[in-house]
Amino acid sequence: MTVEFDATVESEAAPLGVSARPPRSLVRAFWPIAATGAVLALVPLWLGDSRLMMGLAVDALVFGAYAIAFNVIFGSTNQLFLCVGALAGVGGYASAILADQAGLPMAVALALATALATVVGGLLSWVAVRRSLGVIFTGIVTLAFSLSFANLVLGQRGLTGGETGLVVAAGEGSFLRERVAAFYLFLGMLVAFLVVFRALERSHIGWAFRALRDSELAAELAGVDVARYRVYAGLIGSAMLGITGAVYAHSDGFIGPSTFGFGHVDVRVLVMLAFGGLGTLLGPVVGTVVFAVLDELLVDAGQLRTVVYGLLIIALFLGFKRGAVPAVADLLRLLVRRARSRIGR
Amino acid sequence: MTAVVLDGIVLGLQFGLLGVGMTLVYGLGGVLNLAYGQAAVLAAMVVAVALTAGAPALVAAGAGLLTAAAGGVVLDRTLMLPVYHQRGEHRVLLGLLLTLGVAFVVDGLLLWRYPTGALRLTIGGEAVPILGVRMRAGSLWASGISLAVGAILLLFFRATTLGRAARSVIQDEVGARLVGINPAAVRTFIFALSGALAGLVAVTRSMTSPVGVTAGFDFTILALIVAVVGGLGSVAGAFLAGVLLGIVSTVSAFYIGQYITTIVLLAAAALTIVMRPRGLLGR
Amino acid sequence: MLEASGLSAGYLGENVVEGVDVQVAAGQAVAVIGSNGAGKTTLFRALCGMLPVTAGRVRFDGEDITGRPAHRVARAGLAYVPAERHLFPGMSVRENLLLGAYPRRPDPSAFGLVFDLFPRLEERRQQRAGSLSGGEQQMLAVGRALMSRPRLLMLDEPTTGLAPKLARSAYEALGVLKGTGMTLLVAEQQVPLALSVADRGYVLENGRIRLEGASEDLERNPEVRRAYLGVA
Repeated sequence: MTVEFDATVESEAAPLGVSARPPRSLVRAFWPIAATGAVLALVPLWLGDSRLMMGLAVDALVFGAYAIAFNVIFGSTNQLFLCVGALAGVGGYASAILADQAGLPMAVALALATALATVVGGLLSWVAVRRSLGVIFTGIVTLAFSLSFANLVLGQRGLTGGETGLVVAAGEGSFLRERVAAFYLFLGMLVAFLVVFRALERSHIGWAFRALRDSELAAELAGVDVARYRVYAGLIGSAMLGITGAVYAHSDGFIGPSTFGFGHVDVRVLVMLAFGGLGTLLGPVVGTVVFAVLDELLVDAGQLRTVVYGLLIIALFLGFKRGAVPAVADLLRLLVRRARSRIGR
Repeated sequence: MTAVVLDGIVLGLQFGLLGVGMTLVYGLGGVLNLAYGQAAVLAAMVVAVALTAGAPALVAAGAGLLTAAAGGVVLDRTLMLPVYHQRGEHRVLLGLLLTLGVAFVVDGLLLWRYPTGALRLTIGGEAVPILGVRMRAGSLWASGISLAVGAILLLFFRATTLGRAARSVIQDEVGARLVGINPAAVRTFIFALSGALAGLVAVTRSMTSPVGVTAGFDFTILALIVAVVGGLGSVAGAFLAGVLLGIVSTVSAFYIGQYITTIVLLAAAALTIVMRPRGLLGR
Repeated sequence: MLEASGLSAGYLGENVVEGVDVQVAAGQAVAVIGSNGAGKTTLFRALCGMLPVTAGRVRFDGEDITGRPAHRVARAGLAYVPAERHLFPGMSVRENLLLGAYPRRPDPSAFGLVFDLFPRLEERRQQRAGSLSGGEQQMLAVGRALMSRPRLLMLDEPTTGLAPKLARSAYEALGVLKGTGMTLLVAEQQVPLALSVADRGYVLENGRIRLEGASEDLERNPEVRRAYLGVA
């Protein structure tokens, strides 16, 4: 008989995720997404004149999309994929190379690139699942992949432009290169991703996700094929990353090794989700907005910007296990409950 | 070819020391210290500043090592406390994230203060022929120091009471408490030791090529690879893995190219995890 | 030598053990008997600092050790051998024993004492602890605890996983130890064995002391006989 020895037993099973059930009714489930979409749709009215600001807004949306994808993979099934940037990079570089160098029509290149990213991500998931890699080992393996991809890009100079980056010809002259049009395209993708996330949550897949997050062993015993659902999450998240990366490549016109690098993408996504809350629906969106503002404020700080990110990561993961916003939301809920009981007395 | 392999061994010995620091902290505390490379760079910068200020070489080196060790102690006694309250995977995850934050803070501060900082130690002396290859004094010193420190470490862990106590905490923390060992104190000591090791590697590395202020994350990733391949928690494993990977690294860099070499090293770590998670000598 | 008064302890806010008073005088052997889930292990962990105490006091040789961390309790002379043993599997028998005396190097006679008691351990001196048999691991666990020359030896279900013959020889060894003047506190499900060595006993049921007394009295007690000795 083995007894849990230490008295400070961690009672939450999910390290950083949430196990709440999504709302039952269709309206309650999806109106936050519609509202968010509507609000964000107004941004160009406010910033539309400045090409610079709109460019930043587009970048913010792209990161939001990345964050949702990471939420699907890590928030839903605890797979620490430290290769968000790399998977998006697979999509971006593959699409650019296929369209520009292999001469494929942009739509075909996009589709193939997304498929490639999906397969790669799915493979990583599958390997992690087959070899029962825990969170840490999955993290290390995906980190190794991320860094390898970066080195691959740097090494294959002929194909990828190496250090100097790649100018993406395909998409030039199309609506993609217009900042406002691109904004609405990415907003559409963001909303679509949110819809997918919520739909997943409400489906039997989402039920399986919650089960395996709460207790992997219990889920297995209850008949949930944990392996399969993990791979599903990996595939869906990677598809999201791949297509975002690919569309970004054609929309921006230029991609380089730093565009999809670990320090540039993965770290930001982590901070964003630390703010907005892992596993929540709008967490990525909140995190995106907060982060975009923060980034703007820090743009002149140079290296001190990195210091601030570091401090944020520490403060956020130390103080708020599920994210700053959920913690604040919990606090508010607690205060409201207290106020109500006082009134009721 | 011999020259390449010898260079590989020189490099490998430093890889080994680097890996030992990382593997010890993981083995003892269950923490993957992502700020490890920054300890090395911090030491390098301190040494550089001290040397520029005119301090004698040994004093400067000592100052660097001491700073890195002190940093380790501070980290263990502050941020790591909530991490140690967690268990298992939660602990590793939180430790990973918090040390990542620390890495950014230290990296950013160092880059801000010394944007072009680098440490380069030139060791005077004749090149000595070994197996028909002329080895520069710097390489010889670096190897000699690494070997000596490595031997001392192995002896320490094998034959001294404190070293044995450290091993016992890795093997069974509860058992260690039962015999009167304070795991927290041992962890602090090991954190300090790993910081000093990182600093030492920075100093020996700078004897053969400059250690720049941006090298932090490279060191960390390298340490992680060596620790994983050697077996997390195994000191001897880290050394063995270090030397092997050092040779692989120089051979690959010589015959193929720099980027592929990095990929090969990363793949070695990934393959170890997938095929043989306990590494070369881990349990 | 050891005195617990009003001791309560538990996990996650729930007390498993409530208001327990236990006394162990120097040179005595005391048994705590009870079935699975009675709270014996919880009590022992609370006594030696492995588990935080929610109420009550623990005194060792007059000194209040309530809430003192386990490693400091060990250094104060109270050696605890848990049911899970917690040996160092990758280290040899000799190294495990060496560490028993931490932070000091062991008294030269300490090895002699342990090997006299458990000759099998001397044979297997260089063997990895993880590769020992169940009985040998139990011997090593006790031996390791003895290396620090403790004043009180606490054992939690020392017969766990041992075949009846080995269990008996374990208690024979404990009897020898008692003969040398060692103070013993043993938690045990196997009542006849426990009472064979103990001078006094406590019966723990649902976290509370149900009965206490000299072991002969407990052996004759009809409730004890019915519940633990399988006699109608």
